[in-house]
Amino acid sequence: MAPRTVAPFGPQHPVLPEPIQLKITYENEKVVDVVPALGYGHRGIEKACELNEYPKNIHLVERICGICSCIHGISYCETVERLWPLEVPPRAKYLRVIYSEMSRLHSHLLWLGLLCDALGFESMFMQFWRIREKVLDILEATSGHRVTQSISVVGGVRRDIDAEQEKTCIKVLQEVKKEAESLINVLASDPTVKARTVGKGVLTKEQAILLGINGPHLRASGVKEDSRMLGAQAYSELGFEPIVETAGDCYARALVRAREALQSIELQLEAFSKMPEGEIFERPKGRPPANEVTYRAEQPRGECFYYAKGNGTQHLERFRVRTPTFANIPSLLVMLPGCELADVPVIVLSIDPCISCTER
Amino acid sequence: MPVMLPTVLRNLFGGPATRMYPVQVREPFAGARGQIEFNDDKCILCGNCEKRCPAAAIEINKDKNELVFYPARCIVCFVCAEACNKEAIIEVDKWRTPYYTKPVEVHTAKAKKDKAKENKVE
Repeated sequence: MAPRTVAPFGPQHPVLPEPIQLKITYENEKVVDVVPALGYGHRGIEKACELNEYPKNIHLVERICGICSCIHGISYCETVERLWPLEVPPRAKYLRVIYSEMSRLHSHLLWLGLLCDALGFESMFMQFWRIREKVLDILEATSGHRVTQSISVVGGVRRDIDAEQEKTCIKVLQEVKKEAESLINVLASDPTVKARTVGKGVLTKEQAILLGINGPHLRASGVKEDSRMLGAQAYSELGFEPIVETAGDCYARALVRAREALQSIELQLEAFSKMPEGEIFERPKGRPPANEVTYRAEQPRGECFYYAKGNGTQHLERFRVRTPTFANIPSLLVMLPGCELADVPVIVLSIDPCISCTER
Repeated sequence: MPVMLPTVLRNLFGGPATRMYPVQVREPFAGARGQIEFNDDKCILCGNCEKRCPAAAIEINKDKNELVFYPARCIVCFVCAEACNKEAIIEVDKWRTPYYTKPVEVHTAKAKKDKAKENKVE
């Protein structure tokens, strides 16, 4: 038996934007065992949410994660609205879909760039981030900020997209679609990318269901499961169909995210064409009543679960978020053992880890 | 490689994606959330902004007739500007430039004083 070595992967590592440590045991160049260590990024946001008044929490919840910030804010509002329950105006529902999809688009483009970076395909990394910048620009032009859009409030949305902005958005989205399609075509057909991803980190359908994986990671293993299928907000009116791949390897996960990015452009264009005129905000009456609710939202990284308990005051008695990466980390313990040490960064990145979400 | 050729050629003959910052600065979008400014002439120290600020960046001291603003705490959400009934908080689209020490702005509400004077005359 070859001698075994234990080496830390993280908490500071070039492919990891956030701190998570994987203690990797390897024999020669083969990974034998993995033990994840979490807890570097805990900020106590859930507790802080109980101390704050409920409208102020939107801004706090948005800071759980930098990339999913907009969807966190929207989902928090959707959760709190279910305490009454409160119906938001139809136009606000469509605007929430548009902002959710826009942040999914920029998140997936960011991830595709990071994947290229992990593979050493630097020029492609720059290309993906270049087109992502256009999406961030329209987010800033419509909502007022690139990253923390703060667009949602309990009862609707804060800013409307007027006709002129709508035209610009559609034009930019069509440009981004054209450019993204050509880049994804390169990524999907490149022999080096294929050599580094095809057959690496395979997770079968049965294993994925057993481990409770979610999001694009689950869909790449051949399970048709997406929280958007539940039809919250305006998704029920948009004819949404989840994207599924069956191979379950890193390549399949890249393809799912690439196709989802294109699909989210389509969803936005459809939402723009179907968006009704009218009010965007309805003031909630009184304080959130004593009630318990749950809500499932589909974030770029997977399914996010929200729980809120009201007690008739301005404060929530309990607020809880279960984020997608928390469910996806166990899959690393199945995918990593048996792989080459050089494949570890790509496999770790393929679950799209978001540690600040996980630890809150 | 041949698949990437159009992208390569476009980049070869196209201009750079970046600009010569700080010589060349991009104009902020209309309605971008840059920073807030206070109009002391209009403020009546009602406290709507202080109550709603999620970052506790505004403090109102009614005894001293003062509004204290901590820009380093401000998260530019513009909730205060939306809550202000007197339009005393101005939404500015230009970003605040970096600073070495955390500034503290003290604003004296003039509108309230004037109103008090008027009341005395009556």
